[in-house]
Amino acid sequence: MSESGPGRQRVVIVGGGTAGWMTAAALIRKLPHACSVRLIESAEIGIVGVGEATLPHLRTFVEMLGIDEADFMRATHATFKLGIEFHDFGRIGDRYLHPFGSFGTDLKGVHFHHYWLRMRAEGRIDDLSAYSIANVMAAACRFAPPSADSDSMLSTYSYAYQFDATLFAPYLRDYAVARGVERTEGKVVDVAIHAQSGDVTALTMENGERIEGDLFVDCSGFRGLLIGQALGSQWEDWSHWLPCDRAVAMPTVSPEGPIEPFTRATAMSAGWRWRIPLQHRVGNGYVYSSSHISDEAAADALVAAVEGKAMAEPRLLRFRAGRRKRSWDRNVVSIGLASGFLEPLESTSIYLAQGAITQMIELFPAGGRIEDADRDEFNRMVDLEYDRIRDFLILHYHATTRDDSSFWNHVRTMTVPDSLEEKMELFRVAGRISKYTQGLFLEPSWLAVYIGQGIVPEGWDQRAGALDSAQLGPALDRLRANVAEAVREMPDHEAFIRRRNAQIEAAA
Amino acid sequence: MTGEARAIRSVCVAGAGIVGLSAALAFARALPGVRVSILEMPADPAALTDRLPGSLPTIHLFHAAIGLDELELVRAGAATHLLGTRFENWSADGAPWYHVFDRYGMPAGDADFHPVSQRARLAERALRFHRYAAAATLAEAGKFVHPSGDPASPLGSFLYALRLEPDRYRERLEAAASALPRERGAITDIERRADGGIGALLLEDGLRIEADLFIDCAGPAAPLLSAVDPGFEQWDEWLPCDRVVLDRDAGEDPNPCDLAVASDDGWRWRSGRAYCSAFATGDGGGEIIRPGRRPEPWVRNVLALGDAAVAIDPLHSTSLHLAQSAILRALELLPGRDCHPLELREYNRRTEQETCRVRDFLALHYLRSGRRDTPFWAAMAERSAPAGLSRTLEQFERRGRLPFFEEESFDRQSWLAVLLGLGVMPREAEPVAAGVDLEQAAPAMDRLAARLAALPERFPPYREVLAKMRA
Repeated sequence: MSESGPGRQRVVIVGGGTAGWMTAAALIRKLPHACSVRLIESAEIGIVGVGEATLPHLRTFVEMLGIDEADFMRATHATFKLGIEFHDFGRIGDRYLHPFGSFGTDLKGVHFHHYWLRMRAEGRIDDLSAYSIANVMAAACRFAPPSADSDSMLSTYSYAYQFDATLFAPYLRDYAVARGVERTEGKVVDVAIHAQSGDVTALTMENGERIEGDLFVDCSGFRGLLIGQALGSQWEDWSHWLPCDRAVAMPTVSPEGPIEPFTRATAMSAGWRWRIPLQHRVGNGYVYSSSHISDEAAADALVAAVEGKAMAEPRLLRFRAGRRKRSWDRNVVSIGLASGFLEPLESTSIYLAQGAITQMIELFPAGGRIEDADRDEFNRMVDLEYDRIRDFLILHYHATTRDDSSFWNHVRTMTVPDSLEEKMELFRVAGRISKYTQGLFLEPSWLAVYIGQGIVPEGWDQRAGALDSAQLGPALDRLRANVAEAVREMPDHEAFIRRRNAQIEAAA
Repeated sequence: MTGEARAIRSVCVAGAGIVGLSAALAFARALPGVRVSILEMPADPAALTDRLPGSLPTIHLFHAAIGLDELELVRAGAATHLLGTRFENWSADGAPWYHVFDRYGMPAGDADFHPVSQRARLAERALRFHRYAAAATLAEAGKFVHPSGDPASPLGSFLYALRLEPDRYRERLEAAASALPRERGAITDIERRADGGIGALLLEDGLRIEADLFIDCAGPAAPLLSAVDPGFEQWDEWLPCDRVVLDRDAGEDPNPCDLAVASDDGWRWRSGRAYCSAFATGDGGGEIIRPGRRPEPWVRNVLALGDAAVAIDPLHSTSLHLAQSAILRALELLPGRDCHPLELREYNRRTEQETCRVRDFLALHYLRSGRRDTPFWAAMAERSAPAGLSRTLEQFERRGRLPFFEEESFDRQSWLAVLLGLGVMPREAEPVAAGVDLEQAAPAMDRLAARLAALPERFPPYREVLAKMRA
């Protein structure tokens, strides 16, 4: 079969960051018979390398590629992540974990949190987090892989990775190139567009080389070289809801003591600060709104707040919240930052790229012609994800009592999307969470953030009243004790990682 | 307001058919402090959910919620087992096919079975799709065993439904609901609350029934719901059968496989038939049904269930499933006495998703049978599909993909079984399937089909299985 024979599509990916190499690796793994893959990257253009922290879905991606997790984690200095711990969001001094896992066990078909709400109203004082195994593991800095047995309490949590994003793309590059992806170094200086169809037909490189393709994937980051600059696909701006538009990042030396199996997000006067512990260092950054604080003041605030010794000077990143109105336009699919951006508060960037890649593979135009219906399907899915994540992020800012800075005053009092207003009200009435099964952030995630940010429902599921509180109290005590006991038997997070690394080294 | 203060204290269920009794039992069991009463009204013969024998596998979930035991129902002659349905004359070539609640085929390497079998089919190296489902081979042979639960066995994890004997099933529900307070009589007037909801029902003997929540299980006329909201969404464009004739069950040999035979003007099953009156070719008669749904089945303090909420073609026996699913959802989302509009909206939203997707699934049979041999079928072939079904068809016919929908009652396997059974064939194989080696996959599919075909002979006839259970 020739490289560009009938039925074999020439895919050209522009941009060798995380999104670009994820796309290349996935295509060469899933559709090697249906396409040739070429990736253009330039060493002169830096990568943003977003997302040192990820979501559990990435495990499916790693598995799909057939990559050994232990090897991958060792190569990217990865640690396990059981959730994100939010500090000072609902009000200063508050702290809660958004865990990758559920709370308690449903009783008689009723979600656990309704019993908890009822007992709380009856005067029981305890934290919902005590019933989440991921929460208790995180607090104890312990880790063990979840169980596959769905009857076991140990199956009620999941995990993601915290890794060095600048090592993830090269890891995937080695994988993809070894399987036949052609890598081209250089800068694109011109984009040729077909006069009638409006499709991109070829790219001209700085050295004069002309690269033709059938399907182009724009992973060029915020520039949106193809989707934005060449095709003019419009951008929908969400900065009025998500005003953070800059970040300053600075790694520090790992402190003494255990490595936390979670990411920390601490609210600051004009945004929030991340802390992501890796095997060899800690990633830090301050995400802020440039309307509310200067770059210098933000950098100073970050330097003052980090715990360990700095390993580099603070580095500035600029972005804007929003997305393309059409992520797939003509024969250009945009993936990653070229498609849209939502700030890293819930570590969604890599997930969004992964979701778009999965959809593109499912809707891959194997026959050559791209149908409008397929583009619409793709854009529908991408939009759905963006809209829901947007609402979820806004919730973290809006559900607050903070009035200590102009930034918090703005986000606390701003008008939020109707879709979010209704979700919050539905929860406030009786602890119910609008249900969907496809997409990101299902019921336990919303629950964790609602409760964590101080939205306490006025009522609860009436069926939770059917059990006698004299029985329910001891049942809750037992559940707490079972969670605590299961976690006590787990190994220390860092010890677990070191042992796995040693096993790989011994095998090699 | 705290949780207790807004709690519903009393529920009145209007209608004492299968739907009404099911609702009353489920509410009473889940809400022990609530007074659940039943208002027995003259039965509407067009309330088909109360009269049809079919169900879907979700019935087990509902029975668990109300404490009904399968074996007890079987022993009482109220239920037998149901693996699926044999379809005859529902395609251009007329070849029979089976819909069962099982996984079709097995994954091949990296790709799912569907794209692989699709490639084999395009190369004319595949058998009919149901040959790759273990439960379909049992259904075809008229045999039944319970799924073994062993993940390694082909008979490990299929699902099955129950075929009900409606009168006896209703008796079992009556027995279970005997402790619930009950009134009898026709409604002469409905008192409205200031907010537009129902304050009380007045009966002919002067009795006045108040409740915090009224549940309308009184059949397609929906006397309670239509008093507060007359809206109705008609589906006759997509579900053309508007007459249903119910015969006495012939009492023939019990068969764990239902039968659905397409006729010149509709279809028939073992104990009844449905047809489109505008194209009627037979004797006529039967109950008049008006396929469609109430756009908002829950308005203020009035919830409609069963035929009062949705009237749907008996194909695939979905009406009881929809009623049971709605009951469980209503309990999950039970609002306070104030019936907060957002709580009702969540209920109505999810109910709409579920109901319309079932409608799409049934409409598929009429719009894509491939038959044009009678005026009825020729007319159906010209009709355009509702939006959700159009999306499914566009994606499937062109490239074999099934888009995702929330609240699907029928999973991918069911959609595939029906689409392929009807003869709706994708023009292309999904891209991931192109990488599969057909020289390996096709013989593996043959081996699977041969292995499954040999399964039924290991089991006794269903009659004997049933006799043993009832002994």
